[in-house]
Amino acid sequence: MTNAVKTRILVLDDEPIVLKRLGPALEKAGYFVEVFSRGAEASGRFQQENFDIVITDLKMEGLDGMQFLTQVKERSPRTEVIVITGFATMDTAKESYQKGVFDFLAKPFKLGEILETVKKAEQKIQQNQTA
Amino acid sequence: MAQMIDPVIDWIRGMLAPRGRPHEAVTFASLFQTFQRILELNNRILELMADMGAKLGGDYVFDRQYIADSSRKMANLVYELIYNFNALAPRKYLDLDDRFRHINHDIEEELAGRLVIPRTQYVMAYDIITGDFDDVVGGKNAHAAEIRNRLGLTVPEGFAITTRAFGSFMEHNGFQDRISGILKQWEEGEISSEAASGTIRPLIASGAVPPALGRAIQKALKQLSKKNDRRPLHLAVRSSAMGEDSEHTFAGQYLSLLNQPPQRLAQSYKEIIASAYSSHAMEYRRQKGISEHEVAMAVACQCMIDAKVSGVLYSFDPMDPASEVIMISAAWGLGAPIVSGQVTADRFTVSRGRPFTIQSRQIVRKERRLALKPDEGCDWQPVDPALQSRETLSEAQIRELCEAALTIERYYKCPQDIEWAIDQQERLHILQARALNVRSRMAPVVCDVASVTDQFPVVFSHKGVIVQNGIASGEVYLARPDDDLERFPNGAILVARETSPRFAKVARKAAGIITDVGSATGHMAAIAREFRIPTIVGTDTATQLLAPGREITLDAQENAVYLGRIKELCYFNFMEDAFEESYEYRLLRRVLKKITPLKLVDPHAKLFAAKACSSFHDITRFIHEKAVEELTNINFHHGLRDETASKRLKSDIPLDLILIDIRNGLQALSDEGFVTREQVRSIPMGAFLDGLCSPGAWSREPMSVDFGGFMSSLTRTFSSHQANPRNVGQNLAVISDTYANINLRLGYHFNMIDAYIGEHINDNYAYFRFLGGVTEPMRRSRRARFIYESLARNDFIVDLRGDLVIGRIKKLGASLMQRKMYLLGQLVGFSRQLDVKMTDDSQIGAFVSEFDRLVQNAMTT
Repeated sequence: MTNAVKTRILVLDDEPIVLKRLGPALEKAGYFVEVFSRGAEASGRFQQENFDIVITDLKMEGLDGMQFLTQVKERSPRTEVIVITGFATMDTAKESYQKGVFDFLAKPFKLGEILETVKKAEQKIQQNQTA
Repeated sequence: MAQMIDPVIDWIRGMLAPRGRPHEAVTFASLFQTFQRILELNNRILELMADMGAKLGGDYVFDRQYIADSSRKMANLVYELIYNFNALAPRKYLDLDDRFRHINHDIEEELAGRLVIPRTQYVMAYDIITGDFDDVVGGKNAHAAEIRNRLGLTVPEGFAITTRAFGSFMEHNGFQDRISGILKQWEEGEISSEAASGTIRPLIASGAVPPALGRAIQKALKQLSKKNDRRPLHLAVRSSAMGEDSEHTFAGQYLSLLNQPPQRLAQSYKEIIASAYSSHAMEYRRQKGISEHEVAMAVACQCMIDAKVSGVLYSFDPMDPASEVIMISAAWGLGAPIVSGQVTADRFTVSRGRPFTIQSRQIVRKERRLALKPDEGCDWQPVDPALQSRETLSEAQIRELCEAALTIERYYKCPQDIEWAIDQQERLHILQARALNVRSRMAPVVCDVASVTDQFPVVFSHKGVIVQNGIASGEVYLARPDDDLERFPNGAILVARETSPRFAKVARKAAGIITDVGSATGHMAAIAREFRIPTIVGTDTATQLLAPGREITLDAQENAVYLGRIKELCYFNFMEDAFEESYEYRLLRRVLKKITPLKLVDPHAKLFAAKACSSFHDITRFIHEKAVEELTNINFHHGLRDETASKRLKSDIPLDLILIDIRNGLQALSDEGFVTREQVRSIPMGAFLDGLCSPGAWSREPMSVDFGGFMSSLTRTFSSHQANPRNVGQNLAVISDTYANINLRLGYHFNMIDAYIGEHINDNYAYFRFLGGVTEPMRRSRRARFIYESLARNDFIVDLRGDLVIGRIKKLGASLMQRKMYLLGQLVGFSRQLDVKMTDDSQIGAFVSEFDRLVQNAMTT
C-alpha cells in the first residue's frame, strides 16, 4: 500500500492527548493521517490538500469547530466529517447532522469505536465513488 | 433506583399522614427520604468512581476536559451527600465539610496544573512505594520500588526522602523567597546560571535539617539496618527528582554519592538537593520548558551493593533497533565508571528472542576496577591479573539479565536503559531503569504497519472487551481450570476459559491475556491494569481457536489476534508515547488518588472518624455507615419519634437488627424493646428473615457431609469472631406490611435490600445491593463474583462494578416475590460466611453450586 491509495484523514482537536492517541491508531490501521491542534492551521491545510475524512472536536478554546466543519463541507462536500466532542447536546448534534456530518461521537470514546466509524465513513466514500 | 424510591416515598407520606400527628409523621417520611437519597448518592458516587477508574485501561480516548468534568461531577455528588447527611445528623459531623473542602481544593489545584506536594510522610520505605507515588518520591525511587514490588526483581533495599521533606527543608530555613529571587534574576538575564547556582548551592548546604525530618530519617535508617541484618550500613544517595527518568531524562544532571556512612546522611542529603540547582540542571530545565517552581527533589537512599561485576544494558541497539539485539556492557567492580566512560568494558550482543543466543562477545583487558573503601567512598583497585582478560559474565548470568530487562521493558512499554550489578554472592540487582530513546531510528522499521499486518492471518477480531490496551506477541499458554501455572513460561500469552484471581501469580511473566469469559470491571481488569498487561476478556472462543505453543500477536488496541509474530506491530507500540506516561493519564491517576483510596474500612477502629477522611471514598463510606446509625438512634435508642414503633429483633442468629415500623409491619406490640420473627407481619421482611435464618444459610448447624468436607479443605474455615454481634455491625430495617428497606453491615460488607410486595403485580420489586469493603482487590472480587453469579442464576438483572453488585427483579406475583426475598435472605447469610480464604475461581464455582443446592432444597421443602 502506498500513500497514494491510502484514505486521507485530517484530525483537529485542541487537546494534544487526543491527537497523540488518534494519530498513531489511525496510522496503524493503514490511513494517511495529519493532525492539528489549531483551527487556523487545519483550515489552511484543508485549503491546499484533499482529505477524505475529517475528524474534529466541536468546542475548542478560541475556535469554533462548527465553523470549521461548515468550511470543510462547503469546499469539499464529498469529505466525510466525524465530530468528536465532550459537550454533546441534542442541539449541537442536530446542527451537525444538518450540516451533513457523517457521525457524532461523544468523548470519551473507545479507540475501537472511532476506528469503526472511520471504516463506515470510508465505505460510504467508496460507494459514492462507484455509484 | 431513583425511579423506584420516589413513588415509595409518596406512598410512605400518604400512609403516615392520617395517623393523627401529621407534622411528625411527615418529618419521619422526610428523614427516611433523606436516608434513601443518601443511599442513592452513594451508588452514583461508586459508579462514577468505577467509570473513571476504567478510563485508566487505555482503551478510551479522553482529554483534560473529561478529567475536569467528571471530577467536578464527583465533587458535586459528594457535596450533595454531605448536605443530605447533615439533614439527618445536623451539625454533628462538621469535620466532613472541612475534609471535603480540603480534598476538593487539592483536586482543583491538580486540575489547574499546580503541583500539590502531597502531605505524605517525610520518608517512605521501598516496600510501601508504588508507581503512583512518583510525585512524592521522584521517578528513580518510584521505578526502583515498582520494579521490586510489582515485577519482583531484586533492587537494593532502601527508602525515599520525599518531596514533602524537600518542601519542609526549604520552609524551615526560609529559603523559598530567597531562591525565587535569585532565579528571577537569572531568568531575566541579569545573572548567569553559574552565578545563580553558585549562590543557591552553598545556601542550601548551610541549611539545617528540620528536627521532624531528622527523626524520620533516623527511624528509616534503623529499619533499614534491621533489613540489612544489622550489618554496618553503606549507602548510595542519589537524586530522584520529579520527572527524572520519565519523559525528560535528566541523565547525569544531578548528583549521586556512593558509599556514604549513615552518620553523614544529613550532609549527603543537602548536597543532593542542592544539585537540583547545578547550573547544567537549571539550563536543562530551561531548555525543556520545565518551570522552576516544579522543582521538588526527592532523594533515594539505598544500600550500597558491593558489586563484583556491574554494567549497563540496552534492550535494543539504539543505533540499529531493527537488528533486534540486546546490548550489555560489563566490567569488574562498581558501574559508575562504565556510565561515565572511564573504563573499557566487555560487550555482549544478545538476540532479543529466547533463549537469548549470544551473537557476539568482545572481551577487553580490564586492569582496574572501582571498589568500595572500607569506611566511605570508593577508590581504584588493580584487577587480579588472572581475571583481567576473563569474561565478566557467564551465559546464565546474561540470560538472567535479558529476562529481567524484557520484563521491565514489557511493563514500561518502552525500550530500556538499565544499570545493574552482581554482588559477591552472585545475585543480580537492578540499580536503575529508564527509557531508552530509539524512536527516530525505529521509524523506518514500522513505516507501514497496516500493510504488514495484512500479510498475517487473523485468528479473530472484535470479539470481547479490551480491558488493558497494548500489543503483545508470544506463544500461547492454554491454562486449564485446575492449572497451578507453575510452568508458565516468561513472555507467553495466557489463554483461559475464565478470568481468575490465580492469574495474578503469572502477572509478572505474561505478555498478554485472552479469556473466553469475563467482564471489563472484574478483578482481571484490575490485575491487567496494575501490571499493564494487554488483555482482552469475553472473546467466547479464544480457547478453541488458539493452540498451545503457537506464536501469536495480540493487538489489544484494535482488538485482533494474529497468527505469528508481527514485530512491526510490537515496535509500533514503542513509537507511541506509552499512554501510561502521558500527562492526562498521570493527571487522572493523581485526581483519582484523592477520590478512590479507602482508608476507613473498620467502623470500630479509632480512626473511623469524620476528620480522618482523606478521600471522597472515605467520606462516602463514613456517611453510609453513620447514616444507618443515625436513623437507628433517632428511632430506637432515643425513641424520639413515637409515631413509628422501633424494636430490636430477637432471633437465634446474632444479628443486631432494629426494625422501624411505619405501618402494620409489626404485630400487637408489647412494651418490651424486642419483637420475635412471629410478630413481623411485613411480607418482604418476613420472607427475607426466613431465608436468612433457614438451615445452611446463617445457621451453624452441622452441614451436609460433602459440603463440610469441602469447607475443611479450605485453609481457613468460618472464623469464630464472626458470630460475635459486635463485629456484625448495626443493622436496620424500615418496614410496613408491604415494604422493607433493609440495611445490613456484616463484617466490612454492606447489603442493602429495598423491596415492595403488594397486591398489584406491577408495583412489586426487589432491589439488592452488595458493597464489599475489603481493600485487597482479589478477595472482594471473589465475594462479589459469587453474589453476582448467584443472583444471575436466579433471574435477577445484575450489574457488577468494581466491588459493587446490584441486582434487580420486578413485576412478579406476590408468592414468587416472597421466594426471591427468601433467596436474598439465604444469599446474605451464606455469603457472609465467605470470609474464608479462597485461592481460586474453582472454589467460587463450588460455592455457587452449593448455594444452588441450598436454594433448590428450600424450594422443594
